[in-house]
This record gives sequence, structure tokens and C-alpha cells, in this order.
Amino acid sequence: MEIVVCVKPVPDAETRLRVRPDGTGLDEEGVKFVLAGYDESAVEQALLLKEAKVATGVRVVTAGPSPRSEEVLRYAIALGCDHATWIEVPADPRPDAVATARILAEGLKRYPHDLVLVGKHASDREAGLVGPALGEFLGLTDYAGVVDLRWDAGRSLFTFLESVEGGALRVEAPAPLLVSLQQAWNDPRTAKLPNILKSRKAPIERIPWTEVGPAVQERLARSAQRTAFRLPPPRTGAKLLEFKTPDEAAEKLVRLLKEEAKVFP
Amino acid sequence: MSRAVLVVAECREGQVVPSSLEAVGLGRSLASDPVVAVVVGPPSPAVHASLAAAGAARVVQVDHPDPHGASTAFWSTAVAEVLKEFPDALVLLGSTIRGRDLVGRLGARWDAACVAGATSLTVDPDGSVRGSRPVFGGRATEEFRLAGPRIVVAIRPHAFPRPSPTSAAPAVETRAAPSISGAPAAGRVTGFQPAETSQGPELTDASIVVSGGRGVRAAENFHLVEELAQSLGAAVGASRAVTDAGWRPTTFQVGQTGKSVSPQLYVAVGISGAIQHLAGMMSSRVIVAINTDPTAPIFKVADYGIVGDLFQIVPALTRAVRAARGQ
Repeated sequence: MEIVVCVKPVPDAETRLRVRPDGTGLDEEGVKFVLAGYDESAVEQALLLKEAKVATGVRVVTAGPSPRSEEVLRYAIALGCDHATWIEVPADPRPDAVATARILAEGLKRYPHDLVLVGKHASDREAGLVGPALGEFLGLTDYAGVVDLRWDAGRSLFTFLESVEGGALRVEAPAPLLVSLQQAWNDPRTAKLPNILKSRKAPIERIPWTEVGPAVQERLARSAQRTAFRLPPPRTGAKLLEFKTPDEAAEKLVRLLKEEAKVFP
Repeated sequence: MSRAVLVVAECREGQVVPSSLEAVGLGRSLASDPVVAVVVGPPSPAVHASLAAAGAARVVQVDHPDPHGASTAFWSTAVAEVLKEFPDALVLLGSTIRGRDLVGRLGARWDAACVAGATSLTVDPDGSVRGSRPVFGGRATEEFRLAGPRIVVAIRPHAFPRPSPTSAAPAVETRAAPSISGAPAAGRVTGFQPAETSQGPELTDASIVVSGGRGVRAAENFHLVEELAQSLGAAVGASRAVTDAGWRPTTFQVGQTGKSVSPQLYVAVGISGAIQHLAGMMSSRVIVAINTDPTAPIFKVADYGIVGDLFQIVPALTRAVRAARGQ
């Protein structure tokens, strides 16, 4: 079985958010990009399936601008992925989720993919749309919010839990399949230094924009426009309650929630 | 230009999920045309009645024996079939896990402009749709404009009011399940496993959430958090420190690698406020923090803070809430 993992570089969680000059997005100047959290779980799950001898090879794919794309691919190689593909996409105009999925689909058509893994959503825009849209373009069934993904060799089926509100659905589905992963069996591993050094020289297959761009030209012209990116006014900090006894603190808080914030049930 | 509004309703355990009803209410306020609801699953008079009570004038029922509506691959085929009647519709869904999944699939299949997690939405006179959504775990807001004949939007639970019920009777049309031969091999749902949560509402769907953190110190103290939640009718959450320590299962975790919540009121008990936790709850409307450490980062984002010992404050607060609610 061949696994393809699609990943996205996102601003590091500690990034101080600033608005870019045209006001429509994050100012990416000087921002450190890392592998998105749920994508780390997707890579982890792929490597676990390979170690369990379910998968023979793991390819990691990203679609985006340089240098962040190569950086996350090299990190995924350092973690243990066998192959990496970078689909070159210019920073502007920004493709929306459906266009991104179409670009990835153009790339994935070139490789065997019995299981396509993506993270549930990326921590920057938190939409979770690329995976399902990619499923549609590749003609694959997809499940989102997946936990405990296993391969039942006897029945040739994947079994897993699909997290839904209020619980989880137990699902079984044959390959080929696309899974938006919420959690791997283990916490994601971190790369070891010698592997990080080795990954600097690892080959990365490149698919130039000219080969995938035409498929999304029309979509890019009219897809969702981001018209503004706003940061909330800096929080002034909590109104700290003054009190002599715990009961006084409790009563003050209840009154404030009722009369000022109006959120008391 | 007026747009037809279709709401794809999601059902769980025989009931319409709240965000689907909120989508019907929003559809009524946005469109002059009657709102059409689409349900995929076994036909249920109770489901049809609650959609009609929320304001759907028509219910299109696509029959499928699976109460969970089969896979989203099947959903998108079935909904796209219904959409043939509505070439310029605005499709609304709840931004649940399955709802977002369907937005992605429909966006691709129907070549629609689409967005998930909207917290405000308006339709311009030219028919384009504007709105906003929280990004970066609520640390920023993105405004968007969607144009073109086909638009799909998933709305964040609780961002829009629950419609006041009407007494209208539903006009139900039943459609046979479309054949998806040649379509992807479908999976099969073999069961539903309710989350290991304490009683009370579902975490991502609750209007009040009370979460406990490292400050609770031990699994056997967590009942303090749960009793406060119960007094408020709130869902119980936890920081990663708590789920990592195994005091509560990971299904309780709020944060970047857990659940994102956006309730009206979030009460953080003994939570210091690491950025990874804040990323899961910053878009809550009102935040209350209870912590012994006055320098804890949670106080920077909270609206109200109590610097004190949670082992004294929380039981007092539970008593005060019960008294105020006449419990």
C-alpha cells in the first residue's frame, strides 16, 4: 500500500500576528513556518502504518511558495517519509481551498495513492476544506476528524472512528480512501538531528506551476476573496474582582455575569 | 438578485443538530424566498417537524437507510442532485465536522465559492455574500466576499440565534437515493459511540463551557469543575495538562490540538493560559479566569478574573450560581 500525506506550512504558534500592508491577510515578513499540528499527526500515522508493514512507501506532498514548502518537506523526510513532492504555487494570487485541492489533485494523479492522509485542519485558517475537496477531485470517499485508523488485513478494510459532535462513528471503508486525521495512535515524533542534517540533501521532486496552474486559472479569478484581516483591539486584561471571602467573590461574579456581561443562564 | 437558500441539515440520534436549525433561521433572515431544507437519511417526521418549526418551508428528504446520512461522498452526490433545481443557490450548513467536510466536497463538485466557520453573513444587492470568520484560533478575524452563482457557507455553532419556533407544517418531498455507481467505494458506519463526557451539553455545541487545568492538581479534584459546570448547565472542558495526565480523556481537551469552542461564557479554572490553549477558546464571548497566580497569561485575555485558591472559590461559586438559579 502506498500512502500520500498532504501537508501545509503554517506560522509557528508563537507568531505575533501583524496585518500585511494591503490589510487582507497576515504579514508573513519574518514569520517562521512549521508543519501544521494535525499534519504532524497525519505524518506520524503514515509512518506508524509503514512501521506496521501495512504501507510500503510514504510520500509527502505540499503545494505552496518557497522556501517554506521545501522546509516542511525536508522536515517530513527527517521524520521518516520516503519521498517528497513540491508543487510550486506562487504566493499571489492566493488559491482558495478548492483551488488548492485541485492543484494537489493534479500532483497526486502522478503517484499511486491507496491512502491519502491530511490533517483535520491547519492551525492558521482552520477551515478543513482542502481534504474533502481533494477527495472529490480524486474520486475518493473521505472521512474527517479520524481517530484510531487501522488496517484490517483479513477483510482488506480500514477501520476507524470518525469524531462527530457528541461522540464518534465507528466506520469501516476500503482503500482507496482519503482521511482527515485528528489524532494518530501516538503523539507525533520529533526529528532527530542527524536525520535533519541528512534531509538537507534529500531529493525533492518539483512540479512547476506551469503544469498545474492552467487547471485552476479560471477558479483563481473568481474564488473566495479575502477582503480584510483584522486583529482584535488589544485585550485590556481582566477586571480583577476585589473580595474578602470566597463567597463575596462568587456573588460579585454572578452579579457581573448577570447584569454587565448578560451571559448568566 | 434574490437567491434561493438551501440548508443541508445534519441529524444525530434522530434529531437535527442545533447549528442546522441556526442555519435555517439565518436563511430566513437573509432571503425573501422560502428556505428549503435537505435531509439525507431515513425519513423522520420528527426531523421534518423541527426543520419546519425553525422556518423551513420545504423539506427535501433523500432516502438513505443510514441514520448518519452515509458518507459525505454520498451526501455531496445527493445534495448536488437536488441543487440541479437551484442553479444560483446559497447553501448553508452548520460548521460541524461533517458540515465542513460537505462544504469542501460541494465546493469542488459544484464548483462553488465556499467558506467554513462564518460568524457573520449578509447578502449584497448584487447577490454576492459577505461575512467574517475567526482564524488563528480566534486571534484574528478574516472578512470574505463570495461571488458567482453557487455559494456554500458553513456557519459556526452559536454564532447565529436559534430561530423562535413557528407552528408551520412541513411540506415534505421525498427523493429516492441517487445511484452512485461509478462513484467512490463507500464506507459503512457500523455504530455510534457517545463521547466519554460528563452529563451536560456537548463541548463544541455548548453555550457555556467550564474547563479545568493543571491547578486542579489531581483527577479526584476534577469534580469541583464538574459541579460548577452542572450548576451553570455547562459543558466540561480541560487543558492539555489535564488530558496528558490522564485525569480526563482527550475528548475533553480544548486547544490547538483539541477542540475549538466559542461559547457565550468560558470559565477557566486553574488554567494558566498557554497559547495552545488560548487558540481553542479565544473566540468565546466572555471569559472568566480563576487562578492563584496573578501573572498567569489567562488574565490578559479574560474579561473577569478572580485571583484566588480555586479549592475555595469554585465551591463558593457553585453555591452562588445554584442560589441565583433557584436550584
